[in-house]
Amino acid sequence: MASIARPVLLRQAAAVSRLSAAPAGPSVLLKNTARVAAFHATSRRNLLPPLPQKVEGSVNDPVRVPPPNPAHGSYHWTFERLVGASLVPLTLTPFAAGSLNPGMDAVLMGLIVIHSHLGFQNIIIDYLPKRRTPKSRKAAMWGLNLATALVALGLYEFETTDVGVTEAIKRIWHA
Amino acid sequence: MIAQRLGTTALRRVTAAPQNAFFTQNLARLALTSNLSTTQSRAVATQKLTAEDARALLDAQRLKRPVAPHLEIYDKKQTFFTGSIWQRFTGAGFTGLLYGYSIAYLAAPLIGWHLESASLVAAFAGLPVAVKAGAKFLVAWPFVFHLFNGVRHAAYDMAWGFNKRVIVRSGWYLWGASIVASLGLLLL
Repeated sequence: MASIARPVLLRQAAAVSRLSAAPAGPSVLLKNTARVAAFHATSRRNLLPPLPQKVEGSVNDPVRVPPPNPAHGSYHWTFERLVGASLVPLTLTPFAAGSLNPGMDAVLMGLIVIHSHLGFQNIIIDYLPKRRTPKSRKAAMWGLNLATALVALGLYEFETTDVGVTEAIKRIWHA
Repeated sequence: MIAQRLGTTALRRVTAAPQNAFFTQNLARLALTSNLSTTQSRAVATQKLTAEDARALLDAQRLKRPVAPHLEIYDKKQTFFTGSIWQRFTGAGFTGLLYGYSIAYLAAPLIGWHLESASLVAAFAGLPVAVKAGAKFLVAWPFVFHLFNGVRHAAYDMAWGFNKRVIVRSGWYLWGASIVASLGLLLL
């Protein structure tokens, strides 16, 4: 009996002494923290703190469902999968054929740019939620658009003035 | 003397005597008798709140919600060796490489860098064999892994092999196959 009761007694005594030590402020919240703290057994983790949050409406409001739009939903998903799947034979061909002709190389790099752009969009959407970091989200998306445009231009230059990406990788690999 | 009386006198004696904190047995009694009365009391009491106060309190609590599910709760094996996060890591790595190189290639004439394939080949040929092999493996492994795992995820999208046993087993095959295949690519 005593061994079971002891920790409880100690905790109660500690809670009461903490309570009496705290100045009697007007805040109900502050006074309760001391009381509630006595019941907390887990430590606080400050690793990866949550992104800024704000409360909209009450907990009893229904979830707002955005109007369904296949361009952002199923079409987008299917398009993403088709691009990914068509990259498989295109990446395997140079291993069988030795290299790619300029036309096929341009197609391959075009698809890779689209694939990369969609992949980075997914990363931004996952880690910069619109609800929590609307400004960073917008900045990252526009930054990505700008970078992708520059990359497309750079690759066009590389494809037209240099030997093409597949051939370049092959030459570096055998260097 | 009745039994209840006897208990109270014992308690008083403990309080009056010079106390020794090493006796944990006395510690509870000490805490009990020094600050509290012997009658029971609740440390937590309920309070009446207005609807607005309750709402404000709830909002304040909702704003302090932690990240859930937090990284710490995941099974370490599942966090580190499943394909899905490595698909993102390898893909993001290649995208970074492609974007970095393409933009640098576009800017090269303005800055005066030489990033044409001929100068890259010449620079790479000059490296020691071990460095060349290491660099090739660092490119080959993510490439093979992303390719194999991409096919695996395409299969999942068609609901093929999407059960836990197959996912776990194919995950280990994936690691083995990608390492073997990328070592094979070094010999090309």
